[in-house]
Amino acid sequence: MSTIDEGRSGEIRFLQGNEAIARGALEAGIKVAAAYPGTPSSEIPERLAEVAAEQGLYMEWSVNEKVALEVAAAASLAGLRSLSAMKQVGVNVASDFLLPLAQYGTRAGMVLVTCEDPGALSSANEGDSRQYARMMEFPLVEPGDFQEAKDITKWAFELSEELRNVVMVRSVTRMSHASGNVVLGDIPKSEVVARFNYEGSPFGQMEGVIDSAPPLAAYYHRRQQEKLKRAAEIFEDSPFNAYSGPDYPELLIITSSICHLYCKEAIHVLGISDRVGLLKLGTTWPLPARLLEKHLGKSDRVLVVEDLLPFLEDNIKVMAAELGQKIGFKRFYGKKDGSLPSVDELNPDLVEAALTKILGVEGPAGPEEYRKQMEEVVKIGAPARMMTFCPGCPHRASFWSIHNALTLDGRKGFACGDIGCYALGTTAVGFETLKTVHAMGSGAGLASGFGQFKPFGFNQPVVAVCGDSTFFHAVMPALVNAVHLQSNIILVILDNGGTAMTGFQPHPGVAVKAIGKESSAIDMADVCRGIGAEVKVCDPFDLEQTQANLLEMIEGEKGAKVLVLRQSCALSPEKKHKKMFDMSVDQTLCLGDACGCNRLCTRIFRCPGLVWDKQNKKARIDSVLCVGCGVCASICPRGAIKKEEAV
Amino acid sequence: MGKTTLIQDPFNLIITGVGGQGNVLASKVLANMLVNKGLQVTVGETFGASQRGGSVMSHMRISGVSGWSPQIPKGRAHMIIALEPIEALRVLSIYGNPETDAVVNSRPVYPVGVISGEQEYPELEKISQWLEEFSRNHWILPATDEAVKLGAPILGNIILIGALAGIGVLPVEREGFAKVISKIMPGGKLEINLEAFDIGREMVNGLHPAA
Amino acid sequence: MRVYGSKELTADVLGGDLCIGCGACVELCPYFRNHRGRTVQLFKCDLEQGRCYVACPKAEVDLDELSHLYWNEPYQGTPIGKYEKAFASRASDRMPAGRFQGGGTVSALLFQAMKQGLIERAVLTGQDQGGPRPIIATTPGEIISCAGSKFGAAPTLTALNRAVAEGCRNLGVVGTPCQVTAIAKIRSNPMEIDDFEDAVSLVIGLFCNWALDQRSLRAFLTTRLDISRVKSMDIPPPPANTLVVELDGETIEFPLDEIRSFIPESCGFCPDMTSEWADLSVGMFEGRPGWNTLLVRTERGRELVKSAEAAGLLKTQPMPEENLEHLKGAAADKKRRAFQAMDHKGILNSCDEGVHALMRVGQDVANKIIRE
Repeated sequence: MSTIDEGRSGEIRFLQGNEAIARGALEAGIKVAAAYPGTPSSEIPERLAEVAAEQGLYMEWSVNEKVALEVAAAASLAGLRSLSAMKQVGVNVASDFLLPLAQYGTRAGMVLVTCEDPGALSSANEGDSRQYARMMEFPLVEPGDFQEAKDITKWAFELSEELRNVVMVRSVTRMSHASGNVVLGDIPKSEVVARFNYEGSPFGQMEGVIDSAPPLAAYYHRRQQEKLKRAAEIFEDSPFNAYSGPDYPELLIITSSICHLYCKEAIHVLGISDRVGLLKLGTTWPLPARLLEKHLGKSDRVLVVEDLLPFLEDNIKVMAAELGQKIGFKRFYGKKDGSLPSVDELNPDLVEAALTKILGVEGPAGPEEYRKQMEEVVKIGAPARMMTFCPGCPHRASFWSIHNALTLDGRKGFACGDIGCYALGTTAVGFETLKTVHAMGSGAGLASGFGQFKPFGFNQPVVAVCGDSTFFHAVMPALVNAVHLQSNIILVILDNGGTAMTGFQPHPGVAVKAIGKESSAIDMADVCRGIGAEVKVCDPFDLEQTQANLLEMIEGEKGAKVLVLRQSCALSPEKKHKKMFDMSVDQTLCLGDACGCNRLCTRIFRCPGLVWDKQNKKARIDSVLCVGCGVCASICPRGAIKKEEAV
Repeated sequence: MGKTTLIQDPFNLIITGVGGQGNVLASKVLANMLVNKGLQVTVGETFGASQRGGSVMSHMRISGVSGWSPQIPKGRAHMIIALEPIEALRVLSIYGNPETDAVVNSRPVYPVGVISGEQEYPELEKISQWLEEFSRNHWILPATDEAVKLGAPILGNIILIGALAGIGVLPVEREGFAKVISKIMPGGKLEINLEAFDIGREMVNGLHPAA
Repeated sequence: MRVYGSKELTADVLGGDLCIGCGACVELCPYFRNHRGRTVQLFKCDLEQGRCYVACPKAEVDLDELSHLYWNEPYQGTPIGKYEKAFASRASDRMPAGRFQGGGTVSALLFQAMKQGLIERAVLTGQDQGGPRPIIATTPGEIISCAGSKFGAAPTLTALNRAVAEGCRNLGVVGTPCQVTAIAKIRSNPMEIDDFEDAVSLVIGLFCNWALDQRSLRAFLTTRLDISRVKSMDIPPPPANTLVVELDGETIEFPLDEIRSFIPESCGFCPDMTSEWADLSVGMFEGRPGWNTLLVRTERGRELVKSAEAAGLLKTQPMPEENLEHLKGAAADKKRRAFQAMDHKGILNSCDEGVHALMRVGQDVANKIIRE
């Protein structure tokens, strides 16, 4: 198993973007990393955790991104270079701390890596976190390829110490989860003694207390803005800003991040490298004014290519307005004028289409006829793959019970969820049980609100659904709120023993830490009892008991109730490749699609392990996909599904 | 250092399948093999939520000249390796053209909609006809079936890498494969992976690519 | 008889406020369940025709077809349906004591039916803390424990479906007119299922003017008394206008006007006061506490009454003409009101595309009833 600390300076390795970032941090002598799992960022802390013992690093999975950022900040204050990595929405969670952090500044180098998800390939939204750099006034850098993913990250620590502020490194899915050739550098050996120096003047950066009493806040803020000015100066000569193309291009493309490769590809395909200039920016906040003045002055037309919001586009336009007298009027193309789509991720084809339109060039002909015909083939020949719960997933069983309990109750009750695999509870595979999904822990917050509306005639039972990881991340405050304010909340915690959606990372409810060491698990049932809720724990695979508990809670007296549904994720290490039961369908008993069943197991329950045998018109078990959880045996109205203890 | 020449630069290869079939590992192994030959490789993957039963794609750009975008432009794939039959069709419809070659595993992984009876899965014969019509050369190989015989269905992906080696469009051979596997896999797995590689290579040596 | 599927059942009946919670559709399959008196469809079923629709007494009930099946003639629309003879009856001294609402006739008949092997089990309505409960009685003791009227609509036929699914045959069922109608519909086998077996060998129907929604009644009572202490309930005949609730040690009365809002709208569409499709129908005997009115309709019913009398379990007397006329008058009123209501709502003999009828009958008969 190769790790990111292998390989000497000068060697070429094939690294994933996230691996390159992690390697860059190692090469910068990082000592502490803190993060919360979030696709597409999770590999960064994971790779660091793998080498933590060897490299003398500390890495932790924090309970949420705000705490993770605080942990990394503590390291910086103690003289240890640190990194925190998160996905775009994680930055939102951390942002309350990010503001005063950026205001005061940092001591040892500190880098915040944000991994955004254009196209929402693994997210519930297309959030853009670059705005934080502008809004909260700290520098932002963006690697343009995999080599830069390593080099810019390494440099970001130096920059952070030069400026004494946090530096944001921004990546996107197509950088983080893509891979390329990277030339390695050295990993330094350094000994540091950690110490927080609070003696001395509060006006000092490397000494004194950190406070924000009125006169100090203004002072820090001014100092912070000086740092930005200094950053802009440094950025003027940064090797991460590069131009290629003619001196006076017909069209200037300004781009950053992985879009740089899309532009490069589009220019190559169209054969217009002699007409078009490509300015790739690696330093995107603050913008280097003189560099931009130089290039903006040499072309009347500018196309800005970036993923997500027109952050770069808008900032460049502001700068162009400021430079107006010197550079003249520019025609801008980008997202605002529709040259590029304003939603979803970019790719070389979209850039090619924009260039075709703007320059009036014709690209090489594509296989149009072929594509049309193949589209017809795919319509009938390649059925779409809908997302589903894995075979043996406890969430399928949990939603079965929650859905049935709410339906039996008959008062149009509903469930509010949050983020995780179980967010699929809004779809048919979760029996459309969830009626809202917003952010981490938000189901509990909504339920706390709904539970107060009886005076307004509200009589629908509300169930909040959350995961074990989101419980610690964000649900606890909402539960405290509900209990304290006597809201009628029913909270169902789907405890599958890990943060499953992102790759089964541990959390406080699990007795192990990121670096593999055993830790103490915090019992969430005890926490809920301590807060003052009435708590029950049961196994979601026991459908009858789960439904009975739920009905009791839904119909019960007022007060906060918690039901912990505890059953390991089907992908967890203890479950993988181990069957509890050998399952089979007795086709002589199976009713198939006849009245009396109408394919309850394959049509409604929809576990991939259950297959509709079209020939015999009965159900059968796919023994390769079935993991032997045994739940389907409980739902068959005929008892045709048999389960035997696996050997 | 002598540069290995490619028949196309960049050579655009897509490995596609269903989450859990070892798509990502296959692209990682291949990429490392090619980087060791002094080539520049860019791989773009779509995984994450797609793991929960969805389609997975790895776009590989192989070049002697530079790194390229991690997404292949539409209609410009030279070769598709499909761990699952209908994924081959899906990928060809976006990234294929009449000159694209396809190596396709014969074993279906049914979409949930097919399992539950709502959708139809085409017959393998029909898929074969479509591949015949919409690719230059194609090979349909019983990779998973052979892997099952070896005792590990997941090795279907390695068998197809072996097949790619046998076809010879890329500088991919046994020694390079062994070197990469020894590094990437935990100890003791080399033997069985080499066996799988050899099986794949043998499979195409016997088979004439259809038309 | 027109038969549709669960989609139509849910749209027309559950969604159209026509469901009376009889339980006929419950547990035929995994989709329909009744919880605390409310029937819900748990999941969608896309079959175009289903046994759920067949069983439902509020969906496409073809009275002429049922009448042909039972009496070989079209539906006449007489107030209390076809019957051979009317009696006043009561359980006689050989019957063990029980909480009989009136005369204990039903319990006596069931006792005899079970003793002589006419039925192996009885589908009855019991009661516990949660309210009325479907019961499958297999012993005389269990039969006695189910004695006494329940005014909350109970999904008794759930137990019938359960028993049939378990392979039981020769079942006796005691039900309200809607439940008895459901059994008649099932027997008519409109889906023409080849291996259809009639699992019911005895139907005792009860008299009923209206029922009360279980949940509303329970919510009403829980705020006014300790529901765990309730022993029985009664609605004495007019001029009394009360619901009488007997607890251990005391009796509480509630004005009926407070309860009337709990009558399901669906009861207003029911034309049958005396369970016209039963073997035997039993009700109160107004003016004679401790006695029942007993209508004998079929040969099977007649034979059972004879053997129950012979065994000393049942006592019968001829029913005075005056009382019978009074009963018919009340039944005719209910029938007329129901037909008028159905007609007004457009669910009687509906002929518009996609509009399903609650009931179908010869239009001339319908007109006669409506105009009476």
